Amino acid sequence: MKKYLVAQALALGLCIGAQAQQGPLGPNGSIDPIGRIKRLTGTVTVERGGKTVAVSVSSALLQSDCLRTGADGYVGLTLADDTLLTAGPGSVLVLTRFAFDPTTQDGELKVSLPRGRVHVVSGLIAKKAPENVEFKGRNVALEVRGAEFLLAVPGETE
Amino acid sequence: MRLLICGWAAALLAGCAAPERVVLLPQADGRPSAVIVHSQGPGGAQGLILAQPYAEAQLDSGKLELVQNDAASVLRDFGTLIDFQPRRPRLFTVNFRPSSDTLTPETENVLDEVIQALAAMPAGELIVIGHTSRVGSVQDKDRLSLQRAAVVAELLVRRGVPSEKIERVGRGERELLVPTDDQVDEPRNHRVEIKLR
Repeated sequence: MKKYLVAQALALGLCIGAQAQQGPLGPNGSIDPIGRIKRLTGTVTVERGGKTVAVSVSSALLQSDCLRTGADGYVGLTLADDTLLTAGPGSVLVLTRFAFDPTTQDGELKVSLPRGRVHVVSGLIAKKAPENVEFKGRNVALEVRGAEFLLAVPGETE
Repeated sequence: MRLLICGWAAALLAGCAAPERVVLLPQADGRPSAVIVHSQGPGGAQGLILAQPYAEAQLDSGKLELVQNDAASVLRDFGTLIDFQPRRPRLFTVNFRPSSDTLTPETENVLDEVIQALAAMPAGELIVIGHTSRVGSVQDKDRLSLQRAAVVAELLVRRGVPSEKIERVGRGERELLVPTDDQVDEPRNHRVEIKLR
């Protein structure tokens, strides 16, 4: 019973962190996108500031966005530092933190995958300052050294 | 205890998790790479370094283990996901005639190539990145490289690319094509890269 409650809390809290502050304001007071959706199929939604937003190819992504894919969903993103993220069906992918200065290529990237599968091609931040890049599964945390990799986090009942 | 009850049938009934997996893939350019995997186990912190292509870290019932896969087994498990990744960024370079705002004749038609490639790419965007040699102050070089980027962006806009599809970036002297001493005016370092992604 206790295990069941823990699983429920995990399921409800998968997008936790997605309500945190948004990214820096751009020159026109707009929020700068941190990346874009490049490929999409099936059901894919984004939770942003507690609301569910419909997205499609070329939709902009913001810091703290939480992407969810349905049982038939695939989504491929390119972030502003050239990081490529591709999530498979049944995934919850949180873009917890992203900052990138295109002039100096300094920045920070934190991504978590509470559930599902993601393919990652690391980008310019990982090249310049790998210590500023962190990927998290449910119980694992990764340090990246200029790498392409896969992370798979099964759901509690898989 | 968890080890004992987390058999296949028990997993279905009791909701035990299948292992978390991290698999290192070879880099597209063939360079060595690594992922370091950390986890809190019952016996404290554990870590593993994945440095061989297709090496895998499995976190099963709290224990982190190294498994060596081959390309075929990883493609079988993850092939559809891998095939769905967005296109890799593609770089084009244009050079300027010395101390001018006009492109060299050799790079004039690079812009047409860029525009064709952009049209063929779903949700494509351009990042126009200016570079300078090592002459001048950091601020001067950053400003000049951004101006160069703006010049190329304007050429693209005049050829019909929507301005909002173009990001302009000045990298100054931070990414020299030809490394030189400070204050050396190496013409090959005066260039603008156009990244399509």
